[in-house]
Amino acid sequence: MAAETMAVTLVVNGRTRALEVAVHRTLLDVLRDELGLTGSKECCAEGECGACTVLVDGDGINACLVLAVEADGSSVTTIEGLGVDGRLSRLQDAFLAAGGVQCGFCIPGMVMSAEALLARQARATPAEIREALSGNLCRCGGYNQICAAVAAACSGEGHEAEEER
Amino acid sequence: MFAYARPEGLSETFALLDAEPEARLLAGGTDLLVGVRKGNVISPLLIDLKRVAELASGISEVDGALRIGANTVLTEVINDRRVQETYPALVAAARVVGSIQIRNRATLVGNLCNASPAADTAPPLLVFGAILELAGPDSRRRVSFADFVTGPGRTLLERGELVTAVELPLPADPVGSAFQRMTRRRGVDLATVNLACAVTSGGVTRFAFGAVGPRAIVVADGTGMLADSKTDPVEVDALIRRMTAEATPISNVRASREYRQAMLLVLSRRALESARERLAEARRGG
Amino acid sequence: MSAGGAEAGPDGRSEKIAGGRPRAEELARDARGATIGTSAQRVGGFERVTGSQRFVADLRLDEVLHVKLVHLECARARIGHVDTTEAARVPGVRMVVTAADLPQPVARFGPGYRDRPLLATGETKYHGEPVAAVVADTVDSASEAVRLVHVEHEQLPAVLTIAAARDERSPLVREPGLRAADDPHRDTNTLTEWRFGWGDVPAAHADHVVEQRYTAASTTHFAIEPHGFLAAPDGAGIAVWSSIQHPYVLQRLIADTLELPLARVRVFAPDPGGGFGGKQHAKYEPLLAVLTMRIGRPLRLVLTLEETFQAVRSPTFEIGIRSGFMRDGTIAFQDIEIDGLLGAYADIGHRVISKSSYLACGPYRVPDARIHVRALLSHTPPATALRGFGSPQMAWAFESQMDEAARQLGLDRLEIRVRNLAHRGEEIVRGAGDTPADGDWAESVRRAADWIGWGDPLPDGHGRGIAVGIKSSATTGASYAIVRLLHDGSAIVLAGTSDMGQGARTVLAQIAGQELGVPIERVSVVMGDTSAAPYDMQTSASRSTVFMGTAVLNACREIRGKLRAMASDTYGVEEDCVAIADGTIHLPDREIDVAELMADALGPMHGEVIGTGSRRGDHVPEHPLGGHAAFYEFSCTASEVAVDRETGEVELLRHVTVSDVGKALNPAHVAMQDEGAAIMGLGQTLMEQLIFDETTGRIQNLGALDYRIPTTKDVPLEMASLVVENEDGPGPYGAKGTGESGLLSTAPAVASAVHDAAGVVIRDLPLTPERIWRALQERDG
Repeated sequence: MAAETMAVTLVVNGRTRALEVAVHRTLLDVLRDELGLTGSKECCAEGECGACTVLVDGDGINACLVLAVEADGSSVTTIEGLGVDGRLSRLQDAFLAAGGVQCGFCIPGMVMSAEALLARQARATPAEIREALSGNLCRCGGYNQICAAVAAACSGEGHEAEEER
Repeated sequence: MFAYARPEGLSETFALLDAEPEARLLAGGTDLLVGVRKGNVISPLLIDLKRVAELASGISEVDGALRIGANTVLTEVINDRRVQETYPALVAAARVVGSIQIRNRATLVGNLCNASPAADTAPPLLVFGAILELAGPDSRRRVSFADFVTGPGRTLLERGELVTAVELPLPADPVGSAFQRMTRRRGVDLATVNLACAVTSGGVTRFAFGAVGPRAIVVADGTGMLADSKTDPVEVDALIRRMTAEATPISNVRASREYRQAMLLVLSRRALESARERLAEARRGG
Repeated sequence: MSAGGAEAGPDGRSEKIAGGRPRAEELARDARGATIGTSAQRVGGFERVTGSQRFVADLRLDEVLHVKLVHLECARARIGHVDTTEAARVPGVRMVVTAADLPQPVARFGPGYRDRPLLATGETKYHGEPVAAVVADTVDSASEAVRLVHVEHEQLPAVLTIAAARDERSPLVREPGLRAADDPHRDTNTLTEWRFGWGDVPAAHADHVVEQRYTAASTTHFAIEPHGFLAAPDGAGIAVWSSIQHPYVLQRLIADTLELPLARVRVFAPDPGGGFGGKQHAKYEPLLAVLTMRIGRPLRLVLTLEETFQAVRSPTFEIGIRSGFMRDGTIAFQDIEIDGLLGAYADIGHRVISKSSYLACGPYRVPDARIHVRALLSHTPPATALRGFGSPQMAWAFESQMDEAARQLGLDRLEIRVRNLAHRGEEIVRGAGDTPADGDWAESVRRAADWIGWGDPLPDGHGRGIAVGIKSSATTGASYAIVRLLHDGSAIVLAGTSDMGQGARTVLAQIAGQELGVPIERVSVVMGDTSAAPYDMQTSASRSTVFMGTAVLNACREIRGKLRAMASDTYGVEEDCVAIADGTIHLPDREIDVAELMADALGPMHGEVIGTGSRRGDHVPEHPLGGHAAFYEFSCTASEVAVDRETGEVELLRHVTVSDVGKALNPAHVAMQDEGAAIMGLGQTLMEQLIFDETTGRIQNLGALDYRIPTTKDVPLEMASLVVENEDGPGPYGAKGTGESGLLSTAPAVASAVHDAAGVVIRDLPLTPERIWRALQERDG
């Protein structure tokens, strides 16, 4: 039962991937190295910076602190999984329009944390946005523009239906 | 490198632990995997508990207590209506453990078993008189959380034993509680001092202090003086000082001993006021 | 808040102040291609927001081997026997290298002094200096092998503070044999010293003398992207990939190290994920270059975050200022002693200290000045450039001193600054024929004061502060650009600047688009390849808009000249009768677009029109800094805070920076950079410091857990980044450079506000809650 490598199945960005992974490899390692999805970044490797944030079963988590084998059977969404047919998602568009992107290294993690927030709640207050992104560090200091981007993405299409109810 | 096992039941888990006594238990992994990466934790086997049926996540009312299953993550604890209503100090504490990403994985039980002297969840659990359910291959027992942590990173878990749930006794009468902590920045941070305060309808005031000793400590005032908002502030201060006397803060990269001692007093006063207000509100609300 | 395509910036309001001299060439302003002064969307933004941007750690080379470094847990140790046998036996390990395995004597490198060895030899000099390198098939096997390298070593007493470095009894960090025979400081821990000044300080008269000492802790860059390096043999030469800000400096270094011609050394510099100066100069590329040639396989080394703290930091500063003031607050003299702690190797740290000290008197009129500066060696990681290049630390001192003077003289803190601020054209460094004040600095100060509501009543526990900062931009430079106008009218800009988030790609695309009348979506920018883009000295000192921007501008002008000549030849008209505006060729009788001209002129074989341009600022040997500043970055910060007197916690309520930028070619980018710099400045002011163990010299707060930088929750409740645009800069359209301005005066403004709120003066950075609490205790207790 105890194993050095294990077969795991992950549904990554909607696509089922069957892999044989060494048990000590993190989900981040596997996404970047085995699956070539280098959008999720490595920085602190201890869950403090959020650069590796991805969604596992809809929740934002630090992929550097999850073993790939722990995620067996889960659905994983990375930055590469947003947007459809090469078009940006509303959230990604908002990031660009609001000027929230500087060096870009923190951005995939930021977008995924924002994505998780917007999946939980259609509307978010500025304080809720800041809280939701407080686990993502940006050294370029783009926090205000990034939070504004998320706010802009919140208060838009798709919610007219909500209001009618 | 380590091996990995993913048992589906407790007996399977105990068998694994018996075969490999140096195995480590993996729940949320947010402490354990950091330790592994840094080389502080060296183990031949990690046992992933997340599929163990008896440890299932979930919060339920059982025999006059709120029972939080071992695999319940902090996010779930924070979002639970009953926890919010009855144990606001625990919600406040859980909300500052790491970031949302951490709280989506870290379990409350895991946080307690990690037994960091600065664990934010420890003071609230102490003032609420939490009980831990422990299970071993041939045993089941319940221990008060106040006895559970024996030192930094150490608990009274026996070899082959694990925690299956945390129980919070449901108080018959309203209780007011509050959580305070001091950090180096407003964002996500480890506490330099943390504490919880609970005031009962019967006039008992409990304080629990964390990050000021090898383990969090709980002290109680049964005189009713702290619970009474009309008590002279000078006397309140003196009483609080006596209660904080058991704390043994140290100086480290985060803060000095003097500052910790001073903040203990300042924050205790604030937490007390908050707890008293909440109790009054709860009693008015009926 | 909107930013795309509109004219206003996101948070800041960009306002023009009348009276500037327009420098922009006359161009019919048409929307086509004319994006200067607008917040054109970031070039490279799409890639970043989709995760497709390839940073150096995202690159994959075939057959690559992985490198991990071995270092000790203390700062200074005598290295004994290094046993690599166990490590070499780990499956997958190809090579374990120590200094003994390298050509002797071990090569040393550095931008100023060739002092840093490829691997520690004889003795480690700082916590993190590598003693050995492991090369293996996987990162895991390399890491495992690192743990099995046994380095016999003896910990030695380490010099860790300025006081220790100045103490004659302390051990020497650098062996005298490694220093020039005629070096007067050979037997000390002073690497070098400078004396700047003018007038006659001892003879100067003042009504009032203020004397204080200020300190600033060492901080680290903490770019979210850790440094990464790749190296591979490339035919008869070598290819190197690095997150480096100065690819051509690196190219030269590698060429020298391997004794190869420059033409055989190709440096790829993917856009860094944040540089802030920490990626200016080589760290492990030379080692990797030597090893890759030895083993014949590509090599990859990506640092952990902890390793970056051990590689890059700012110097520690202690600054003593004795100032003479007249009763009315005018400065009579400044007498300044500055000590900067460099670390074990100079890197560019000595220049950080000298260049910033040169302006230690600040942007003021100072009749007499004496500045004595020492750059000291220590057993700490080498200090390097960090955004601001020492100027924030200078402002910390001279602005805190202004506040002190205001307090002692009973003057308003805003008033005392305005009284002394140099006006445009006045000298701030006297008698050297140096660059005079090149902006209407008082305007920045007035705007900041207005925004913060200076003088308005404040609730109890609240306070306001205001401070200015100044920095010399590049004193030398050499930027070359090539622009290729393709036959369909689209364009490619080849420029060696590094875009690490400041938006260089965008600004250069905007300039080319503007000059050639090409919409920005039809301009692509090639950077980060020394074989493709022509020489650029470096990306630093906020220089690129001015230097590379001018080079691109000139290249475009050359193209325009060629187009006019082509039109003249093709259509038989006088060149004077041909005008070019916004991608349209205006002939006497009609208008055609550029693509049509190209088709007519070049025929079915096609072709392209190539322009080259450059801008240089050459070395001036007599000048203490090697050259005059091309311009000054000047900024004013105003801050409003509330202080919790029981805990010492500071709540940042309102924060404004006003920077003198000449012209904001892209207002949104300027605002983002200024605001980002301000937030970084707030981190340095309130929470950042590297803590060294007093005995072992180990960095105690190594890593993200214990080295705190601002998060979304640490940002002031209200922030603004404003600009003064007088089109009075030496760059395209009257631009100056920016990007560092936002953090030049953060610390003194916040400290001033803290004093205003709580009545305590702090002279040491960072202003942690505990430090403020202690000051309150001492005052009240």
